[in-house]
Amino acid sequence: MSLLLEVRGLTKRFGGLTAVHDLEFEVRAGEILGVIGPNGAGKTTTFNLVAGTYRPDAGEIRFAGEPIAGLAPHRIAARGVMRTFQHNRPFGGMALVDNVLVGAHRRFRATLASIVAGRARTEEARQRAAAQELVSFVGLAELAHADVTTLSFGQGRLLEIARALAGEPRLILLDEPAAGLTPAECARLAEIIRGIAARGIAVLLIEHDMHFLLPLAERVVVLNFGAKIADGLPAEVRAHPAVMDAYLGSHAAPH
Amino acid sequence: MKRAVLWVGGAVVLAAAAFFMGDYHNDVYRKLLLWIALALSYNFIFGIAGQVTFSHFAFYGIGAYGIVILLFYAALPWPLAILGAIALCVVLALAVAIPATRLEGFYLALATMAFAQLFIVVLNEGGAVTGGTGGLASYRLPRILGLDFSGRTYTVVIVLLVLATAAILRRIDNSWFGRACRAVRDNPEAAAAMGIDVARTKVIAFTVASVLAGIAGMAYAFVDNTVNPPIFGLENAFLLLFMVIVGGTGRHAGAVVGTVLLYLLPFVLSPLIGQHHALVFGVLMVAAILLQPRGLIGLYDRVARR
Repeated sequence: MSLLLEVRGLTKRFGGLTAVHDLEFEVRAGEILGVIGPNGAGKTTTFNLVAGTYRPDAGEIRFAGEPIAGLAPHRIAARGVMRTFQHNRPFGGMALVDNVLVGAHRRFRATLASIVAGRARTEEARQRAAAQELVSFVGLAELAHADVTTLSFGQGRLLEIARALAGEPRLILLDEPAAGLTPAECARLAEIIRGIAARGIAVLLIEHDMHFLLPLAERVVVLNFGAKIADGLPAEVRAHPAVMDAYLGSHAAPH
Repeated sequence: MKRAVLWVGGAVVLAAAAFFMGDYHNDVYRKLLLWIALALSYNFIFGIAGQVTFSHFAFYGIGAYGIVILLFYAALPWPLAILGAIALCVVLALAVAIPATRLEGFYLALATMAFAQLFIVVLNEGGAVTGGTGGLASYRLPRILGLDFSGRTYTVVIVLLVLATAAILRRIDNSWFGRACRAVRDNPEAAAAMGIDVARTKVIAFTVASVLAGIAGMAYAFVDNTVNPPIFGLENAFLLLFMVIVGGTGRHAGAVVGTVLLYLLPFVLSPLIGQHHALVFGVLMVAAILLQPRGLIGLYDRVARR
């Protein structure tokens, strides 16, 4: 499988604090890569560096072979890297399906002139039908025309995912998607994430909940204090002494 | 198909109305129509794109003065004068928008307010070109394609202009661009994550709305065949903001309802309480914000849903 995302020597400092230090990992097309670590390990910083919210102090990020480090977030999204937010950020006052259509932004080709001339209707209808399908894919079909402010937290999370998928990304970044969900919602979310990977979309999944992530991810990168302490298959990582240390503390290791 | 019938029917009714009015009412009617055109485009920039600007009447003035100066001072043929006035609006809108849309909320409001004030100063100090404080007068609309568009026919032109403005804004609003504007208004960071170029979206929204105001201004120039500075000042810019808020921010129908109400209110109130009608406006405005932030159209939605 070809490398879709390559991260080399990635470093980010905030004042005196090094949030991410010399990080290396890669994501292959169509795989689910989990990035795991305790709170403050640098997961969200890594995520924001890939999405373009932060500019790295050193290192390289390549997407589909091209460097993307330091590009503005909208340019990274336009190349096919879509993200969700840890705290849901729906666009208020718009129906759910319209929110999903915002996610499809990069796929619209009609110019303003053709919109004014009324020649953009077929594209609009086609994209609307595709958005409707995605709404069904995440299981919110009956809420397609609801105002987004009426959604529950869990439904809002699913909307975030449908909206990111609408851009037909090659890589989707999910920032702690299971946070705040009920166990039943988590199970459904895991199914949806597998479904995304089955569509050939690479998934970079950031999570601190090992129970959610380990059964789902094909490979796992473990961060602690901004540096990678382990990587490999979920089973290998689970048994890795440094991981047990980081999660449980050295004194709590099983005897 | 059904929608086309509705638009054509609306155009016929609105245009025919002018022929059943006396000169005075026809004059009031035309000006109301132009206010509606302005409120529609202002609603787009303020209500849909979320930019608090006070330069809308300045662009109305740029269109009005632009067409008169190009036609009669520069003596250009009318097609060139129209294109020239539109080009002037585009260039000035971009010149304001590119630096100003980097600002947000309060600062954007201040920057556009400064531009609006500067425009009035330019009009007052413009010598023979702008006619100074007295403005420009005693010109007439030239014959276009051999046709005379004065009198009631001109009201028909204005009706078509208002409907074209409404149709253009509706189409834009229901497109990816309209959604991008709303997304940028609600959450710029999330909008950028969807691949939306936030700065570019703001600049285009501002330019489109400002050019539509300028085109309305070009029509205004031949309503009284005179243009003078006070019309294009901040007082009217604030009134326009009131109209959109009272009607229902972000809704095309709201802009129309708010404008009709606040434009006609002084005609009803002035005989009763004279200049104090401004007080009623203030009370209405505060009541709208406190009691009904979605405006009159929001009130209608609630009643209709029942």
